[in-house]
Amino acid sequence: MQKAQRLLDLAAFLLRAAEPVSWREIQEQFPEDYSGTGEAAIRKFERDKSELLELGIPVRYVAGDEDLPAGYLIDKDEFYLPDLGLPPEDLALLYVAGSAALAGGTFPYARDLAHALNKLSFAARAPGASEAAAVAALRLSTGEEPRPDQGEVAGRLESLSQAVAMKKRVHLVYAGAERRERTERDVDPYGLYQKGGTWFLVGHCHLRKALRSFHLGRIDSLEVNGAAPRTPDFKPPRDFSLAEVATREPWEYRVDPPLRCRILLHPPAGGGSVAAEARDSFGPRARLREEPNGAVLVEVAATNHEAIVRHVLSFGDRAEILAPRSLRERARSVLRALARRSA
Amino acid sequence: MRRSRAAAPKTDARDRLRRVLFLVPYAVRHPGIPVRDLARKCGITEQQLLDDLDFLLGVGCPPFAPDDFLDLYVEGDRVYVALHQSFSRPPRFTESEAAALAAAARALGGDGQERMLRALRESVPRDRRPSFDELVNRIYAGSPPAKHSLLGRIQQAIAERRALQLRYFTASRGAEGERRVHPYTVAQQFGHWYLYGHDESRGKALPFRLDRIRECAITDTRFEPPSEAELAKARLFSDTTGSPVRIRLGRKSAAWALARAGQIRVLSRSARGDTLVEVASAGEDWAIRFVLSFAGDAEVVAPPSARRHFGDAVRRALARYR
Repeated sequence: MQKAQRLLDLAAFLLRAAEPVSWREIQEQFPEDYSGTGEAAIRKFERDKSELLELGIPVRYVAGDEDLPAGYLIDKDEFYLPDLGLPPEDLALLYVAGSAALAGGTFPYARDLAHALNKLSFAARAPGASEAAAVAALRLSTGEEPRPDQGEVAGRLESLSQAVAMKKRVHLVYAGAERRERTERDVDPYGLYQKGGTWFLVGHCHLRKALRSFHLGRIDSLEVNGAAPRTPDFKPPRDFSLAEVATREPWEYRVDPPLRCRILLHPPAGGGSVAAEARDSFGPRARLREEPNGAVLVEVAATNHEAIVRHVLSFGDRAEILAPRSLRERARSVLRALARRSA
Repeated sequence: MRRSRAAAPKTDARDRLRRVLFLVPYAVRHPGIPVRDLARKCGITEQQLLDDLDFLLGVGCPPFAPDDFLDLYVEGDRVYVALHQSFSRPPRFTESEAAALAAAARALGGDGQERMLRALRESVPRDRRPSFDELVNRIYAGSPPAKHSLLGRIQQAIAERRALQLRYFTASRGAEGERRVHPYTVAQQFGHWYLYGHDESRGKALPFRLDRIRECAITDTRFEPPSEAELAKARLFSDTTGSPVRIRLGRKSAAWALARAGQIRVLSRSARGDTLVEVASAGEDWAIRFVLSFAGDAEVVAPPSARRHFGDAVRRALARYR
């Protein structure tokens, strides 16, 4: 019998049974599949059982007692997707966020996400407006022209998602930032994060012997260790925090010695407070002080000097570096050169 | 649609099982659903769906009596499934289904984060919950674009179809203003989140960047949802702001720029390593900020007006350093 058919038959058989089913009865029902010598047949059944569990179908063995025979069963309460019991606004969040993520074309576990969104209509009593909003989010979030490398990135995300979940080591061919050098390395994948619409893999790099992030667009090829797929290759350290890595600003990457920088963010021509904008742009670790004229004085610690200069320059005349002098000078010389070229 | 997820799904056993465990209860709930609609709902072609239905006909064969399991037929182009009640609902979420949904929801944010995470966790089979707990901390899809309370109100207004009163910062005018919006949905593009809805005073649907909504309040006014046809025409950025801007990127900048999300189209590459690109609809202001962020390793080249504005912006910025 084909595997898919066997698994579904097995699930149907156990779901329908009124009481636990003995191994002998299972063998009788599936003579072609679980016959043969005891050991091999049991191992095959155990593999099927784990596959069913991975599909969300828990098969359990119960030891018998006076009332019930010993055997296997699927708890109906443990099988059916329950009503999530969430208020409409939470459902709207799940629907809309899930649809938008899927529409973007690159999201880890994209296939699982699509399944999950489908199942949601069974997990809520009256999805109504939320489901309609999800359809709209799906349409609006779908870029009109997918980027050329999107298919590749999506494929790598899918493989890496599996590697992260199963804790399997991966082998990367990785292009450096300027695409000049190419390196090969083994990485223990700890997690995946998105920043500015781009996905990164973070993990322990065996080449650099340290925690590193990898831009998915720059992974030229990727191989997941296929040996012993259900046995983890590593254990992520207890103190590893993905959120901490993911919320690091570019000027917080460890490239240079730390420098305290003071930046003045001016209000736009139309006036108004820029505190909210400053918080968004300079992140949660920036110290802010509002000036009487509506400008905000921002203080950050930069360990990547060029990155903070670039960030400040992107505001045009709305921001300037006050200190340190070296970075103020760097910004000035960039602008001078640009002014000369565009004269 | 040119999307990898639209690529033909492998017909391996697990994929097929996951699909049929959804499509059976779904078809039961929607008797006579057209083949086309059911296929679309499952993300497969009509032929693949017919194959799946064929597969289902084989399930429950002897030693089972066929009527033990399910009765399924396609009449005209419609699907009817009557079945043993075993598969009246889909199975629980797998840990990766629940974790992917949780990661997507956390990146958008809102008041109900903990409630939602708890509900998702409880909808995973008990034995898989430790794996869910671990996996949920292995995907970080972004920081929420606004305060949780603000997003919570937006989500509630979408779910209840009630108008929102917004205080919104318009970047191009550099000013805040009051807007009254019928919120249709929230959508994401190029790394930013937008509230998309009908703006009462402008009389049309517009996108509002979530990180520029300074405050919002739910009003008592209910609104009619847009028709499907109306939504089918909806675009986040329907009118391109001005003509496309051409940018020359140095070798270093090109590697960064092209790896970012955005509507950047490569026109040509020079022997020196420069790349000429075009930014279609993001607008001139955005293009200028973008170019400035490359600290001299990029410049605006066309159209002439954009080049002039870029030069002005550089001189104004330089004036800050005199």
